[in-house]
Amino acid sequence: MLSVENLTFRYRRGGEELFDDLSYAFEPGRVTAVTGASGRGKSTLLYVLGLMLTPLRGTVTLQGNNVSAAADAERSRIRAESIGFVFQDSALDPTRTILDSVTEPALYAGWSRSRAQEQGRVLLERMGVGNRADHMPGEISGGQAQRVAVCRSLVTDPAVVLADEPTGNLDQANAEGVLTALSEAAGAGALARTVVIATHDPFVIEFADEVLAL
Amino acid sequence: MRLPSLLREAAKTAWATKVPSALILLLVTVMCAATLATVGRTAAAEAQLYERLDSAGARVLTVTEPSHDSHELINPSTIAMTAGLSSTERALGTITAIDVVNGAVGEGGERVPAWGVYGDLEQVAVLESGRWPQPGEALVSAEGMERLNLDAPTGWVAPTSVDAAEDWAVVGTFRPRPPFGDYAAGIIYPLSEEAAVTTLHVVLHDANLAGAAQSAVLQLLDPPAPDHLTVQSPLSMAQLQEELTGDFTTFGRTMLLGVLAGGAFLVAIVVLADVLVRRKDLGRRRALGASRGVIIALVVLRTAIPAMAGAAAGITAGVAAARAFDAYPPWDFAAGTAVLAVLAACVSAVLPAVYAATRDPVAVLRTP
Repeated sequence: MLSVENLTFRYRRGGEELFDDLSYAFEPGRVTAVTGASGRGKSTLLYVLGLMLTPLRGTVTLQGNNVSAAADAERSRIRAESIGFVFQDSALDPTRTILDSVTEPALYAGWSRSRAQEQGRVLLERMGVGNRADHMPGEISGGQAQRVAVCRSLVTDPAVVLADEPTGNLDQANAEGVLTALSEAAGAGALARTVVIATHDPFVIEFADEVLAL
Repeated sequence: MRLPSLLREAAKTAWATKVPSALILLLVTVMCAATLATVGRTAAAEAQLYERLDSAGARVLTVTEPSHDSHELINPSTIAMTAGLSSTERALGTITAIDVVNGAVGEGGERVPAWGVYGDLEQVAVLESGRWPQPGEALVSAEGMERLNLDAPTGWVAPTSVDAAEDWAVVGTFRPRPPFGDYAAGIIYPLSEEAAVTTLHVVLHDANLAGAAQSAVLQLLDPPAPDHLTVQSPLSMAQLQEELTGDFTTFGRTMLLGVLAGGAFLVAIVVLADVLVRRKDLGRRRALGASRGVIIALVVLRTAIPAMAGAAAGITAGVAAARAFDAYPPWDFAAGTAVLAVLAACVSAVLPAVYAATRDPVAVLRTP
């Protein structure tokens, strides 16, 4: 499980403090939408949860461990193994194939290439883009690219998936496809994982199981 | 991240970013080619000079005892002891050359020099035809045969001096071995043990041993006075060799460091520009779990790959350029240059790599 306790963050000394001692538990198997007005720190919260930013106060706890104060190398390892990211613009490497993009986090997690590719192909098939595995990112649509990004976030079978405005650049049909994929990723029971989406899109908020308003 | 995956990622990055890769390749090519064309030529010249300085002619220690005041210091015993020194390649005794003429022609014939040698004649000559001479016999060189008007290595030669009563039957031809090239002008004959040898020739294994060998030989001969013997030593040659080697080494090292430092600086600029252009890519990698160490390794390895290709191209071009000037850089120097150029490129990539690895991925990802 992922939770935060008394969380406060600021970008620079003297800057505005965000979250105001936020405490929240993100339940596995549920999609949580983080919403709020612009500048309230929706994306920032995701980056703190994703261990790319260190909170000013408070803790981030993942699977019972306080991970917010871990050393950089340890945080990188946790990101690779236990946290999946979906960015607003999919952020696929334009110089590598779809399959190579999907397998990237698994390689950082120390997986062999063959194992990562096997897992990547399974995920691409499940998301309906299996036939695009050997294509380049420039050869697929925006909706497909975002589904590929979801596959990439799931390739190491992480405990947490963090998505920053994943439908921001998509039409409603494609957005629904991506949200469905994220919802399926949340899963249930023993295979459940935590999915957190930063958004201001009412459609996403409506789709989510929980809403955290900042 | 596993090493094969890391290498593959680096290779793919190097291939994907062709312009910086081509620039790195070009810079390392120029580094290697320039090094070989300049320092390599110097190294080749040094090797050639060293070879010349180390030739047999530059390794000869000659000790002469005046015949008018001979204590017979140079005798079979001292020659044998000198030959036994660890620094000695060959040791033999000679007497002052005398003039001989073709015995069949007599006094009016052309004179050629004749050298009496004490010791194995194989030390000074290679037998080309006939057989090795016994006492009273001699070998003649090709030039000597011509000057003596001998059609074949047969016949006999007679000394022109009234003091020398001996004649020698010619039993073969010879070619002199370095450093006894002078003997090509005439004949050589073996001296008996009773002959008053006046000159000791010691061919050393290495000119650098001249100092020690000279001391050892003089100790063996034990002259009654310091100026009793005349010594011609390659000691100054050895010193010259040492000084030249030092000069060449200093020059070569300075030049090499200059080329490598200049090249490495330019490679660093290219790599820095590359990581600045690819900051989003590197930020994405950090967000997806790449550690700082992985980012540094990726940047350094992606630099090393075109650098290795550049080193291969540069060495090929540099060797070709050096050969155009009749310089043949030693292979170990060429290999060392390639390794140093690749290392310099890799080291120069470390700072940009650290810069890339320590950028805040969030700032990079959120910057449009």
